[in-house]
Amino acid sequence: MTAKQPILSVQNLHAKVEDKEILKGVNLEIFPGEVHAIMGRNGSGKSTLSYTLMGHPRYVVTEGKILFKGIDITEMTPDERARTGLALAFQYPVAIPGVSVSNFVRASVNAVRGKDVPIKEFRAELKEQMKKLGVANEFLGRYINDGFSGGEKKRLEILQLALLKPALAVLDETDSGLDIDALKTVSEGINNLSNPETAILLITHYQRILNYVEPQFVHVFQDGRIVKSGGGDLSKELEARGYDWVSQELTPSGVS
Amino acid sequence: MSESKLVNTIARERVDNLASQNGEPSWLKELRVSSWEAYLQTPMPTGRDEDWRKTEIESLDLSNLNAIDLSTKKDEKAKLPEWFETALTFFDNHSGVVAEVGQASVPAKLPAELAAKGVIFCTLKEALRDHAELIRPYLSQIESDQKFVLMNKALFNGGTFLYVPPNVEIEGPFVSLTHFTSSNGSPNGVAIFPRLIAVLGSHSKASLVNILSSEPGKENKTTLRSLANVLVEVHVAPGAKCEYLEVQRFDSNVFAVTRTHNQVEQDASVKSLTVALGGSQLKGDIATVLNAKGAESDLQGIVLGDTDEHYSFNTIQKHNAPDTSSNINFRVALKGNAQSIYQGVIEVAKIAQKTAAFQSNKNLLLGNEARADSIPKLEILADDVKCSHGATVGPVDREQVFYLMSRGLSAPAAEELIVTGFFRQILEACTIGRAKDWVYDVLAEKIHGV
Repeated sequence: MTAKQPILSVQNLHAKVEDKEILKGVNLEIFPGEVHAIMGRNGSGKSTLSYTLMGHPRYVVTEGKILFKGIDITEMTPDERARTGLALAFQYPVAIPGVSVSNFVRASVNAVRGKDVPIKEFRAELKEQMKKLGVANEFLGRYINDGFSGGEKKRLEILQLALLKPALAVLDETDSGLDIDALKTVSEGINNLSNPETAILLITHYQRILNYVEPQFVHVFQDGRIVKSGGGDLSKELEARGYDWVSQELTPSGVS
Repeated sequence: MSESKLVNTIARERVDNLASQNGEPSWLKELRVSSWEAYLQTPMPTGRDEDWRKTEIESLDLSNLNAIDLSTKKDEKAKLPEWFETALTFFDNHSGVVAEVGQASVPAKLPAELAAKGVIFCTLKEALRDHAELIRPYLSQIESDQKFVLMNKALFNGGTFLYVPPNVEIEGPFVSLTHFTSSNGSPNGVAIFPRLIAVLGSHSKASLVNILSSEPGKENKTTLRSLANVLVEVHVAPGAKCEYLEVQRFDSNVFAVTRTHNQVEQDASVKSLTVALGGSQLKGDIATVLNAKGAESDLQGIVLGDTDEHYSFNTIQKHNAPDTSSNINFRVALKGNAQSIYQGVIEVAKIAQKTAAFQSNKNLLLGNEARADSIPKLEILADDVKCSHGATVGPVDREQVFYLMSRGLSAPAAEELIVTGFFRQILEACTIGRAKDWVYDVLAEKIHGV
């Protein structure tokens, strides 16, 4: 029997943006079927981690590596990473006027699956996922994120992930800007992504979404690295006590 | 430039020849001759003229050009370019097609019910023969002091005429094709002077598609330049509605100078889309004159350049009367080391109060060597107006590319999608047949580099 291989293994990851080092040695392992949450204040580098994982060209890895399914993806372009099974739901998805949701989603699904999905089959799949997320038909004819409300943007992100079926879904502040009903629907969508083969990494600074999507592992992110890891209860402790006690706890032990 | 070498080509003799060869009435000959005289007195524009900035006008050697006649023979079976046959499937509800392919013309098959209503759609040559008195006022109504317009008015010998009587509304578009070749196939060192005149009677409604193209050169690119000097005049009478689509797809040895003039009268409207897809040098003028109260115009423009193509478009929104409105939305994307210069003028006369005039020009630079300039000009003499203009020039948004790539699309596929999207927003405004789908396909082909 072989030991279970992690889907994601981030090893001593350092990254900079325009010569400013933001990630300062991130270590993280995620196994299939697991749900992880990374929590931290705004500006702690959480979003940089998600962009760096997905390969945004503005974020330059200076040290360490990212293994995904055992493959070193550190040098891969974003589309190669996507085709390997990694997906990121953006905190602020950009609008692309003139490009319809249906056109784009189909092109994306075909690219990631590496084959042209027959149009009938694709439509059926799409309709089913749209129904689950409470997304209206007229959505398909609209331009990507153009004039979308916050909730609509997040629904479209989850809809795409549901169709792409990634091995690891990274969700960057997916809960931000959602009212309670939208939060419930989107959380349900996230839970539907989860299965024994798929792992989820939630990045958030509120505990709120963790009431609906329950992680087995919670990591506290501070100043460009993970400073504390624990089980699901850690998020409740963070909610109750804030982030300051983590820093105070760390200072004497000399983590700096 | 030595005028003496022009004797057999662009010259006074030719003006006289045309008049006699076509058996034109004396008033028409006089019009040609007076245009020719004005042409001679008008200096050739140079790169130093503001309107001709960056156009390599000096590279055009008029002395080497042979003017050819369009529509010298009717030929029902003249071979239409394959892509044009494809285009026609997108206009399957059309109301008639006039095609001038080289020197052959394929006559319009106007549906009998339209003919019965008094609609005329034919080559300009036929119109001058059969409807001379009807067309006469429109030949001189729009004045110009531009060298190339005067050249066309003296030498035009091809083109199309559309007449829609008052109160007649027509759903399907009229389609006109001017496709030029020379006797040896590709157009080398030749000049054409097509003139298209559309007249929409009061409270009528019609749409017109005008496609200008040339046979791709078989020889290498150093072969002689050809000239396409095109004049389009659209007269929209009170209360009439006109929709116009022009697609220019010339080959890389063609120097094209096009002038489109929309004359819009009281409570009339014109909606147009100009698509420029090729040529070595393209100099396009689009003028809209809002001549009376309630006149409206909505103009869209698309330029997709590649290799070392050069585009220069000047638009004029001229408000001569109060309560008029105009809008221009001009979008340019450039691959390779293509260049574009856009100059947009909004002119509001002192009496034209309550004018609304808007202008937007967006440029996407796809090639590292591509270059675009945008120059807006506002000349507003009235004081109670709403006017705005805006321009952007820049590469494709990197965040958009990253977003699409993060969903599996390759970098070229992402860029292609963004550029077609950039144009699609404009195409949505075009409601002629399924024109927007055809233009979208043609754009995608060129973006794709087929």
